[in-house]
Amino acid sequence: MIREQRLTEVFVEVADSLTDDFDVIDFLQQLSVRCMELLNVAAVGIMLADSNSTLQTIAASDEHTRLLELFAQQHAQGPCVDCYNSGNVRTNINLTDRTVAAKWPQFAVQAEGTGFVVASALPLRLRGRTIGAMGLFQTDPDPLTASDLTLAQALADVATIAILQQRTLAHSELERGQLQYALTSRIVLEQVKGILAERWNTSVDDAFTALRRYARSHSYQLTSLAREIADGTFDTNQIPRAANGERK
Amino acid sequence: MAEVLRLLHPDPWSEAGADIAVAAAEALGMDGLSVSLVTEGDRTELLWCSDDAARCFEDMQHTLGEGPGPDAVRTGAMVWVPDLAQVRTERWPALSMEAPDLQARAVYCFPLGLGAIRVGVLTAVRRTPGPMSAQQADDAIALAAVLTMRCLNGKELQAPETGAQNGANGSAETVRQPDGLPQMLNAVVHQATGMVSAQLLLPLPQALLRLRGHAYSSRRSLTEVAKDVVDRRLRLTHRSNGSPTPPPVVEKD
Repeated sequence: MIREQRLTEVFVEVADSLTDDFDVIDFLQQLSVRCMELLNVAAVGIMLADSNSTLQTIAASDEHTRLLELFAQQHAQGPCVDCYNSGNVRTNINLTDRTVAAKWPQFAVQAEGTGFVVASALPLRLRGRTIGAMGLFQTDPDPLTASDLTLAQALADVATIAILQQRTLAHSELERGQLQYALTSRIVLEQVKGILAERWNTSVDDAFTALRRYARSHSYQLTSLAREIADGTFDTNQIPRAANGERK
Repeated sequence: MAEVLRLLHPDPWSEAGADIAVAAAEALGMDGLSVSLVTEGDRTELLWCSDDAARCFEDMQHTLGEGPGPDAVRTGAMVWVPDLAQVRTERWPALSMEAPDLQARAVYCFPLGLGAIRVGVLTAVRRTPGPMSAQQADDAIALAAVLTMRCLNGKELQAPETGAQNGANGSAETVRQPDGLPQMLNAVVHQATGMVSAQLLLPLPQALLRLRGHAYSSRRSLTEVAKDVVDRRLRLTHRSNGSPTPPPVVEKD
């Protein structure tokens, strides 16, 4: 399918979600996947700064722990940190370059282990402030074009809008409240992945897949469901378990 | 605010609590400040307060069981009320009956917690209505983050720490690190917390404490221990309590 057609579909999908009662983590995860498909990159991650100005992964194009760890590595170093600190786009960074590896030693090692050779990062912008970054990772060395980057920045802006649009349980309309709530939701999700993985004797990745599938098919907000599970007010036996080693 | 945060180190729960609350209220441009901690379920108990206005508001919410503070604890989201007199009656019916008699007119609540772990709530009150500036909000959020981390340090960890403080290696440093605790913010640590909680049928805060205790006593980083738990190379048991002797029971696959 040509990109323009696909883009139209994604636009409609995004507009639909944003006007609906959507779950921010689930939305950003799907946005990451769309971004990965449209830009033909290997992985996409969306990071938000917490109160210490430390970047935290809020969503990624795939939830496998190995990828999340690579993003987690970026709390201290990597293209997303540079992008967040400067507020500027960082494009087509060659991760195999020796000077890059010297600048971000831990990140470079982990990126290499994942097979990523090129990275780009775009700022999540909010009225002159940078609140996070979107990272794009490629396993092939083809540079992103100017039109790719325009599209990527538009998708990064959609991510910012979604974070500010979410309806929290407290109906907080405050920007800072929204950012903080999104970060908290992400942590709840990680805690619940662990609870389910242990109850079902499966991996955290498979636990997440089963949880998300259940939430989607029962029109549950992923975060609300996760909170209920963490609070012990939801019987997790209702969720069909993922088969071991299953991938989305 | 930096000065206030320094006061929190090393022990925010000392006698100095009220003084810190006064200093923090001043730094935030507010008249009063209180910190309440979750005791059971969503119930909280007052830990610190700077003055009568803050105490009265906290007591009132506690008695009525409703208000911005309980909402912040329950939902994990900030609740800001720039003018109590402008709040719709339906939001907090009982509280709005009492509002005209309260000294507090503006109330800002910041939840203390880590994901699904509810720790408590930081409440700032002012006698005059009006917004909080972006800088003040950022400072309050930073203060809430530090208080959360200090609360999660837990008393159980304080005891063995004292003995090992001198010549402590990297992992002990990690436990004592006053703010931020970057390691705490790792996805794998949250996942491991969930796993330990399901394994030992413990609430999440105790599960996290158990993990940290294990990391401390085995002189490893929290992230390493968490990774071992998630990859099922390590399973904590009820007997491993984070104390170096007897050695923690480790079951390998």
